[in-house]
Amino acid sequence: MEAMQITPVSSDYVELRFGPRWTYISCVRKFVASFFMIGLADKERAEQISMAASELLENAVKYASDEESYLKISIAKQSSVVDVCVKNRAEPHHINTLRRELALIQAGNPESVYLKKMESAAMTEGQSRLGLIRILYEANAKLRLDVHDNEVAIHALFPLEGA
Amino acid sequence: MSDNAFTPLSADGLSITPQMSGDVLRVKMTGAVEMRDPGELLNPYWTGLDDAVRAKSLKRVEVDLRDVNFMNSSGILTLVRWITKAKTHAPDQAYKLVLQYDRNVTWQRTSIPTLAKLAPQIVEPAEVNG
Repeated sequence: MEAMQITPVSSDYVELRFGPRWTYISCVRKFVASFFMIGLADKERAEQISMAASELLENAVKYASDEESYLKISIAKQSSVVDVCVKNRAEPHHINTLRRELALIQAGNPESVYLKKMESAAMTEGQSRLGLIRILYEANAKLRLDVHDNEVAIHALFPLEGA
Repeated sequence: MSDNAFTPLSADGLSITPQMSGDVLRVKMTGAVEMRDPGELLNPYWTGLDDAVRAKSLKRVEVDLRDVNFMNSSGILTLVRWITKAKTHAPDQAYKLVLQYDRNVTWQRTSIPTLAKLAPQIVEPAEVNG
């Protein structure tokens, strides 16, 4: 899908779908920040959520196997959580890499893992692979991976204090 | 610009302006780092700055990040590479790298102090207001 569609469903929910074009990511990040700045009245949380959206989208655009990647963001006050979910189709080896990556970063102390990954990334060429641990450590979110066939859904879950 | 060794950079919504102030190199960054591969642009640029700083035997570089409204993880990696290289310099070529940030900008308040932990002996996070 080429054109971006923005479909506000209610004051607490928004879903966006768009083709995997890099130039949309900045636009989505700014929109998500503005949306949650209003919805949560919490600038820091809004910027953390928009950072996570941006990092997940960057991964999706880099590793999507076709033109079907899209962003889905939902807010569920019933469970006091914001769920940033990015779905895309991916090749099996990319999915396996993602599983290993998540297992690695969720196994240790987030700050130690982040620093170690920075050090190792500096010694190698190519992608940073710092996005997921950045979400975990800097935005204090939880990450969850759902895979169905070749469709990957990665969730960044933000607990809302006092919600 | 007061010194031809330190050239400004402007591309993809990002501007970098280095300027000598006494014996301190001040590097002002403005905009956002959210291009697909910021390393293509920034890795050679930081390497050039690092080389010039050592050629001039400067002992302090201040990078002002306060007007960078966002930096993606690939952009952060370019700073990681610079820090990783800088911390290997021999004492006579070593310099202090000060990363100035605004605590009201969420990514800066979280990313910059973390970067400093990579090499606390040479990197100093500096919260600067205004």
